[in-house]
This record gives sequence, C-alpha cells and structure tokens, in this order.
Amino acid sequence: MKKQDITCDVLIIGAGFAGMAACARASELGLKTIMAGNSSQLYFASGLFDFLGVYPLDPATLLTNPETGLDLLKKEMPDHPYSKTGLKPILNSFDFIIDYLRSAGLEYETSKGRNISVLTAAGTFKPTFLVPETIKKCQMIKRNKNLLIIDFKGLTGFSAKQIAARLKKKLNSIHTLSIELVPDKTVLPPMHLASMFENDVFLEKIAKKICNCGCQADLLGIPAVCGINKSLNILTKLEKMTNLDIFEIPMMPPSIPGLRLKNAFEKQFAKQFKKKRVQFLSQTKIRSQIINENEFILNAVNQNMETRIEAKCVVLASGRFQSGGLYAHRKQIFETVFNLPVHQPEHRNLWHHRNLFEKQGHLINTSGIETDNVFRPVDTNGSIIHKNLYAAGAILAHNDWTRLKSGSGVSALSAFTAVNDFYNSHRPSADNSNYEK
Amino acid sequence: METDVLIIGGGVTGTGIARDLALRGLNTILIEKKDLNAGASGGNHGLLHSGARYIRSDPEAASECQIEQAILKKQAAHCIEETGGLFVAVKGDDENYIQDFPQMCEQLHIQCEKIDPKKALEMEPALSKDLIAVYQVNDASINPFKLSIENMNNAISFGSSYLTHTEIENFKIENNKIIYAGARNKISGKIIKIRAKTYVNASGAWAKNIAAMAGINVNMVFSMGSLLVTSQRITKRVINRLRMPTDGDILVPGGVVSILGTTSIRIEDPDKIYPAVDEVDHIIEQGGQMIPALKESRYIRAYAGVRPLVSMGGDDDDREVSRGFTLLDHEKNGVDNFITITGGKLSTYRLMAEKTSDIVCKKHGITQPCKTKTTPLPSTHDGDWSEPGVFIADSIDSKTFHDSYLCECEMVPAKAIDRVIDSIKRNGGSPNLESIAVRTRVGKGTCQGTYCSVRLLSRLCDNKDYTAANGLNDLKLFLNERWKGEHPLLWDQTLVHSSLKEMIHCGLFCLELDEQ
Repeated sequence: MKKQDITCDVLIIGAGFAGMAACARASELGLKTIMAGNSSQLYFASGLFDFLGVYPLDPATLLTNPETGLDLLKKEMPDHPYSKTGLKPILNSFDFIIDYLRSAGLEYETSKGRNISVLTAAGTFKPTFLVPETIKKCQMIKRNKNLLIIDFKGLTGFSAKQIAARLKKKLNSIHTLSIELVPDKTVLPPMHLASMFENDVFLEKIAKKICNCGCQADLLGIPAVCGINKSLNILTKLEKMTNLDIFEIPMMPPSIPGLRLKNAFEKQFAKQFKKKRVQFLSQTKIRSQIINENEFILNAVNQNMETRIEAKCVVLASGRFQSGGLYAHRKQIFETVFNLPVHQPEHRNLWHHRNLFEKQGHLINTSGIETDNVFRPVDTNGSIIHKNLYAAGAILAHNDWTRLKSGSGVSALSAFTAVNDFYNSHRPSADNSNYEK
Repeated sequence: METDVLIIGGGVTGTGIARDLALRGLNTILIEKKDLNAGASGGNHGLLHSGARYIRSDPEAASECQIEQAILKKQAAHCIEETGGLFVAVKGDDENYIQDFPQMCEQLHIQCEKIDPKKALEMEPALSKDLIAVYQVNDASINPFKLSIENMNNAISFGSSYLTHTEIENFKIENNKIIYAGARNKISGKIIKIRAKTYVNASGAWAKNIAAMAGINVNMVFSMGSLLVTSQRITKRVINRLRMPTDGDILVPGGVVSILGTTSIRIEDPDKIYPAVDEVDHIIEQGGQMIPALKESRYIRAYAGVRPLVSMGGDDDDREVSRGFTLLDHEKNGVDNFITITGGKLSTYRLMAEKTSDIVCKKHGITQPCKTKTTPLPSTHDGDWSEPGVFIADSIDSKTFHDSYLCECEMVPAKAIDRVIDSIKRNGGSPNLESIAVRTRVGKGTCQGTYCSVRLLSRLCDNKDYTAANGLNDLKLFLNERWKGEHPLLWDQTLVHSSLKEMIHCGLFCLELDEQ
C-alpha cells in the first residue's frame, strides 16, 4: 500500500452535506483543507434544503415562516443546535452555500425568507426552505391550474396516478400520462433515465408525447430525473418545446437532485485542488488518531493509500448511524472516530416509539454529540474536549431532523460556524478582513 | 350466502378443516377477519416437532407430534424442509433431564440418536464449545403460509370459498341451532348473512369471543411467545435445548434465515401483542448459551404469536397447561350445530382438522373417513412466493430476464406480484400491500419494506382494482406492521436500515404529518 504524509489547517471527516459545506467554507477562507470520507450518502439527499419545517411537533405545526418556529424552539429546546446562534448565521450559511453551488452551475432559488411546500412522489407536500430551480415551480400548484403529471414505465416507485389520486381534492383538473420507453416490467433506473434526458432527440420525443396527450395542461410535474448535468437548461428546453411550466418531483433514493449536489461540490473542490487548497480523500476511513495540544495526527486509509494527516483543526461531520459516525451496540451508542461522549437515552427501551410515525419522533434521533456554542464537542461536565475539535451536521445531539425538517439548516449552520470560529481564532493578526458575513 | 359448513378462522386449522371437509364432499365457506394466518398460524416458529420437546411436559402432545410429523412429511412435502434436529445440552444444564431423555423418547416411539459432542460440532459448527450431550431427532421446518394457502386452494378446487377481512358479528339462534351468521366486510363495510348447516369456530385465540356470540363460555388463557428472525441461516438443523422447555431454547432454520424463540408470557388481549426490548434481550442471552453466534448475530425482525390455551382453572405456569388441542361440541351447551376447535399446535393441525371434521360429518350423516392422512396436498404454486429464494430458481429456468424486482432484498419480481394480485382477485379478495405481503416475501428482507413498499404501492396504483386514494394509508399501515417487528431489534445494521426508512418516509415523504 502506498503511503503519504500531508499537513493541513482543517481536516474534515465526512463528505455528506455538512462535510461538503465545511470544506467549501474552509477553502473559501483560504485554509488548507482535507476532506476524508465517502460522499455516496448524498445519493440519499433529496436536494431540498430544510431550515425548520415543523414546530411544535405535537400537534404538528407546519411553519410558513421558520423564524416564528425558531423563536419558540429556542425557548423550549435550549440544547438544539439552532439555539446556540441567532437567525442571521443560519441565513448566512444558506446564502454562502447557494452562492457556492451557483458558481458550480447548480441553481437554487433565492430565499424569500419563508418555507415552501414541495410535492413529493408520495403525493404529499414537504415543507422546506430552499429548492433547486428545477423544483421551484411546484409552488404554482393552485386550484385553477390544469396539472399534468407524467411517469415512466420501468421507473419503479413513481406513479403519476398515485400522486393524482392524492391531489384530486386540491385541484379542479389533473391528468396523468404514462410514458413507455422500455417494454413493461423492465427496470429503468433513475440514473439511466436522467442521462437519457441529456439527449436533445430524446427530449423532443418526450415533448411530443406530452403535447399529443391532449389534456390541455398548463403545468407539468415530472419525476426528478431531468438530467444529471445542466438540469435547469434541460428543463427550460422542455418547457419551450411543450409550452408548459414544469417542475420536478423528488422521489426516493437514489436521488438525482442529491447526485447533482454531490457533483457541484466536487466540481468546485477539483478547482481548489489545482490551487492545492483542497484535497479530497475519497472512500477513506480514519483508523487511528493522536490528539496533541496544537495538532491532530490521524491515520486515514482507503483501498490503495495510507495517509498520515497532521491537522490543526478537525471538523467531525461523519453523520449518524447510516454513514457510520455513530454506532449502536445493543446496549449503548458510540461515536466511532474519537469515541466522544454520546448523549443518549438510558436504555434501548427508550430509543424508539412503538409507532413509526409518532409525531414527537423517536428519542434516539436526539442522541448525538453535545457541543458548546461554536460546535466544539463537550464532555459530560460541559468542558470542551479540544479547542480545535468541532462537530457538524447530523451527528449533533438534540436535533430530530426527520420530524423538525431541519437537517440541511443544522448542517450548514454548524459547518459554517465551526470553520469560521477556527479561522477567526487562528488568522494572523495582520489580516483584518472580516470573513464573518 | 349458503353452504354446508361455515368455518370461522383462516389459520392452519380452519384451512385444514376446509380441505378435510371438501375431500369428504362437503361444501364450505371460510371466513377470516384479517387474512390467512393472521393469528398464531403466522406467528410461530415454523417448526414441525419430532415430539421430543414435550416428552416430559406433555407426553400426549409429544406422541401426537410424532405421528403427525411423519404423515405431513409424506403428504405435504412441498411445504416442509426435512432439516432434522438436534437436542443439545451445555455445561450447567439439568443432568437428570439429559439422562432420562433417550428413555422418555423411546417410550413415546420418538426416534432419537445419541451424538458425540465433537461430531455434533462438525455437523453444526455454530454450536457452543461447551456441549455436554447431543441427541439427533426428526424435527423439520414447515412453511405455515404455504400450508394454509395450499389447503385453501385445494378446498377451493372442490367448490369451497373463503372471505378475508370479514368478521362475524352475530349468530341468529333458534331452537338450539344457529340459523345464520351475520358478518361484515371490514373493508367495504358490507353486511352479509351466511346460512350453514354447521358452524365451526376455528378462530384460535379469538375462539372465546366467537363462542360468546353463541352464548357459550369457553374459558381461555393466552400465552404470548416472541420470536426473532436472523439475517442469515445459522444452522442446517433445528437446534433445541436439551432441558425442560423454557425461553429462548429453539432455533429453527426457515429457508435462508433462522428463527430463534420463544417466550411464554400471559397476556390479556390477543389483539395487543408485541415483542418487547427486554424480551428480545432475554431470548438472545438464552439462545446464545447454546449458539454463541446468536449474541452477535444480526436480526431483521421480531414477531409474536399467541398460544390459545383452554384453561383448566388455577394459575399454573402456561407451559404446564396442555399444549394439546381442545375440541368442543357445543351440542352439550345447547347449540347443536356449533363446534369449537382451539389450542394445539402447528405440528398437529391436520389431526385437529380431522377430529373436528369427524364431528361435522357425523352431524351431517356422512360416513366417509378422513382422507388427509393418505391424500397428498397438491401444489398450486400460489404459495411459492412466500418462500425465500424462489425467484433465483425461477429466473434460472425462465428465458425472460426483463423483469423488474419490486422487492430487491428478497428478489420478488413484478410478474410475481401480478400473479399474486390475480390469485387474490380470483378468490374474491382485494389486493393491497398487506394482502400481497402475506403471500410473498415482500417487505421481509433487510430493508423491511423501505423501498419495496413504495414500488409496490406505485404498481398497485396503476392497477384498476386498487383505490389509489387509500394508498398512503395503506402504506402507513404496512410500514407500521413491519415496524412492530423491527422495533425491539434496532441496533447495529438493523438500526441503519430503519434510519433510512425514517429518512425516506418521514424526512422526505412526511408521512407522519399525513392525516387522512
């Protein structure tokens, strides 16, 4: 196995949304950054950026303005990551990410300061904060609209009829069209279909079928497979061909909007890599670590390389159970890289509610790493573990993002705050530029 | 509706009776308040007992098992895997019980062969190194879903029929006879009257409720047993602990998985059962004593079943209340054409059906003897998809590879689903997620319905026999039914999968917010 030694300012462990956000911020600030992890979890991301969709949880209150919920949440949940900062840093971190993605060619709708409802493949509406441009027109769904929803035979888990059956009561007029590209029962994986959309001839064929279906629609919903790259261009082309407003409908993973997100981040990192600012160690696991007063020495391993990393600062963005940041043994939950103390319910009996759809959520989802106000992990006495060790994203305690609809917001905020804090406490005193927006 | 015999309850006993009576020329209607095997017939070990487990606690049941297993292996071979079984004792187990074991088996004509512990370890490497005694017996594993489907199909081929999701609401009784039964379809709400000459109550744990509608008291107690499904098959054979029956002492292979159980907890309401976290831990600790790998094994599902036991009074340990069956001709209670059959076990379902049918035939003046002992149960393939791994064999034989898997964990292709939908419709049922799940492996794999539920639902919505507007409700019910079995097992990889489930169904689809 090959070996290499590298030094950096910031090591980010984890390449999910929080890791990507931290890496983006750190490299923008000119810090020498290494990101180690497995970015494949972004296939599971919907591509929607949640801030705070629901609060209080029971009875569930859907928030039009997340700020209203935030004020109450801060009072009632002082340990929630949002309670550590104000509204401004949350919005700033979103702005930063949107700008960053835009420069990579992935367009998100600029925030209007309130939540929007996105139509999902289940026919439900999900409250979220920021959406890709290709999804935003779902906001045009109104009673007087003539909506057409299309599906593709072979794209399993997406039925136009299912969505239409749910929306019937909300709309005067709704139609469905099922497009057959492959013989019945053949699978058409989302990734494959999405790449077909990148072909103009294919696009024209689809447009023709839509135009010929004779349903006089003025708004069109399609599964979120409208190209992997340049999705907005493709969607706009299809809008011109059909003379319809079009929006994408997010479906279960593998998620194309999640893949676009991953590609956009990685594209930007590749540019930074040329400037020797960012290095991405993909498919990498941290094997061992030594923590000194002013540095971390870690051993990172992937299939063909063993890397010794000396870092001044570490941002732990390794996620929860699915990505392996937390591990649940039958009797206890552990943090897997540094064995940090994990806030958790006393007994497994309390981890989950008997009803999967319990409004309050499952207690295990509030387990995780507890931190100070700049997201540095603390021990049971509340003292920080290390002055330059930060945690960001889903691994943080007290945030049940599946219920609060707060995942991306907490990830963005914690990543942004952590990197800014390290930067501000370490930048040379001669440098007076203010990076905190 | 009119028929010779109305059978209440669609478990192995009810379907077994339907077939037995059909073979003797009687027309039957079977009604079931949920779906086939919704009660104990679905919530058990899938173990065809050699009888050795009960040699001391219940010699009569042991003897019945011994005879029945031989008959079933011959007549229902396609529902059985002849795995063989071992009884194993580890250090610390009761030496007297071990010593008496072979002799007790011999007295009841149960085949049993002493095995050297070293050889046993070669036969089953997963066994504990602390073995002190091992005996080989004739245990086997049996697929109760397939069994019920095939029994019912066979009865249908003779003109019988069955109604699922239909619940008895009342009996009209005149002159010591039930004149008709009033029932309601729980999905459509439709009320029906069924007139029969004889009424058989084969509703297992619910027999008390049904009997009460005819003004008859059947004194029952309920013993809940919980079981765990491992993600892989751990042993080739059935492994029993060589001791007086207690908790966590049987591991039964079922196709590609193994099932560890069980417990015995007295409960009040057979409709409110679930395996609890502490119970699961207890089963694992116990099972781990004979097979250490069980302590670290991955479990994909826990489930519970209710043993209906007819009480003889007193507060005895439920394991000491007879596991034998109870057959009551209510003629002596003043209802001449009403019979209750309950208790018993999966291994002796055929015998229970035979004895019940004997009384029915006597009431109908039919002298034909029982044929199920000698007539093989035909295989109709409707039950095939309830078996793990069927598609692998099927796809190797088939030339059409262009078929999508709706369930990737258990490899259930779309065409299988379409076939199952057809068979549900053929039998007057309504296809939905739950009725398909009963008949296939859908939702039973590692993802426990996370993906396949969505794929199945969208496929159903494109089918004209399905009301798409009910879809999300159906989806929630299905996922919560799966959840019931995941809930006590959520650690390690199983927790990872449940996190994904929550991420998709709550995080994205917001089903927890859906009120319909």
